[in-house]
Amino acid sequence: MDLHSEMILEEYREALPVLEQLKEQVLTMLHEAIGRYGLEVTAVEARVKTEQSLAGKLALKGAKYATLRDITDLVGARIVTYYTDDVDRIASMAEQLFEIDWNNSVDKRRLHQLDSFGYNSLHYICKIPGYNFRFELQLRTTLQHAWAAINHDTGYKTGIEIPKEYLRRINRLAGLLEMADDEFSRIRSEITDYRRRVEQLVKNGKLDDVQLDGDTFRSYIQAKPLDRLNKRIAAINQAEIQEVPLTRYIRVLRALRCNTLGDVSRLIRQYEEDAYRLARHQLGNTDIDIISSAIGLQNICIVCILSTGGGKIGLERLFDALNGHNSQNSELAELTYEQAKSLQL
Amino acid sequence: MNTQIKESGNQVIASFSGRLDTAAAVPTAEAVKPLLEVENKEIILDCSQLEYISSSGLRIFLSIRKEAATHGSKVIVRNINADIRQVFMMTGFISLFDIQ
Repeated sequence: MDLHSEMILEEYREALPVLEQLKEQVLTMLHEAIGRYGLEVTAVEARVKTEQSLAGKLALKGAKYATLRDITDLVGARIVTYYTDDVDRIASMAEQLFEIDWNNSVDKRRLHQLDSFGYNSLHYICKIPGYNFRFELQLRTTLQHAWAAINHDTGYKTGIEIPKEYLRRINRLAGLLEMADDEFSRIRSEITDYRRRVEQLVKNGKLDDVQLDGDTFRSYIQAKPLDRLNKRIAAINQAEIQEVPLTRYIRVLRALRCNTLGDVSRLIRQYEEDAYRLARHQLGNTDIDIISSAIGLQNICIVCILSTGGGKIGLERLFDALNGHNSQNSELAELTYEQAKSLQL
Repeated sequence: MNTQIKESGNQVIASFSGRLDTAAAVPTAEAVKPLLEVENKEIILDCSQLEYISSSGLRIFLSIRKEAATHGSKVIVRNINADIRQVFMMTGFISLFDIQ
């Protein structure tokens, strides 16, 4: 190594504590901003370049750097996102957060020719007040990250240049992953659009046009169709209502032949009164003053099963669906059946 | 009312015995406090010796479940008697807990 590079290395050793501090500061700022912007990412990481790695860089192109400060990746941070769209959102976040050295920043996603594929990442060279060193921020998707890591492993680890045939195959994979990334983003956008459409249909009361599934049921429940019944049940003992997820009921509702949200709505209307009577019978003689927001729907299902001739076996299946198969569910079904019978439900 | 907590591998087992009524709720809530900090484990609420549960008892179970969810833990309620199962059913909590 020449004297110039030796001097830069010496400068590096002296600057190490500051570089470590810069790394920590960058990590803190990134974590805080990601939380503030409500972004979801798979990884946020940072490192200070090792002396060995710097020595390698200087051996290759030491003359390019007048001082240590000319090297822009002594501190490197990386954010790995789920979706390609999020790379741009985080880039915009970084632009607000740091001073960007545009002359040295590069969007490698745009460097490719129309007929070439390969390394895809957005590299920003950034600066924050109080530090004389710049740092590099890499932004890429999980798939781009996987490709880059594997490419690095196969291409550089051994130090032996790999044949063009293999390079071609690796780059073909980059093209494939680029397509997959675009498809994931498209799927996410379409799901978001679908949810918005469903919310609109629910809002407009066009429930027969909406198939019953996890997403649509969640939107429907947000409109609180069981609120009135739950509040009536709570009033029996002046009980508080604990909100609980109703996901387990989707299977039950399907078994009760609800195919659309319109079917669910009709089911609620049809059995609401008897569901309330059952609750009053069960809770009226107790001092229980806490119920879950599932109680109304649970009782509607019980009453519906009994009204449609499902009997004890139907109730047992309901409890199995809600709570997993258990021998005691048969006993519970028997008890509920007797209670309902006394009410002529 | 008695509450015992022991740790075994990836599980933390809280065993309840007696009647978890309003009077017993305060000492029981105190006794289960360590469960609220348990991270990434299975919390077993063993109710084989539990005779009765009141609303206050349900609230304790709910708070354990809520904290477990925020700490990456999972709550399993085990060996409840028929009366307690009925309380879980008529309050609508049967679909919330993993009851074995």
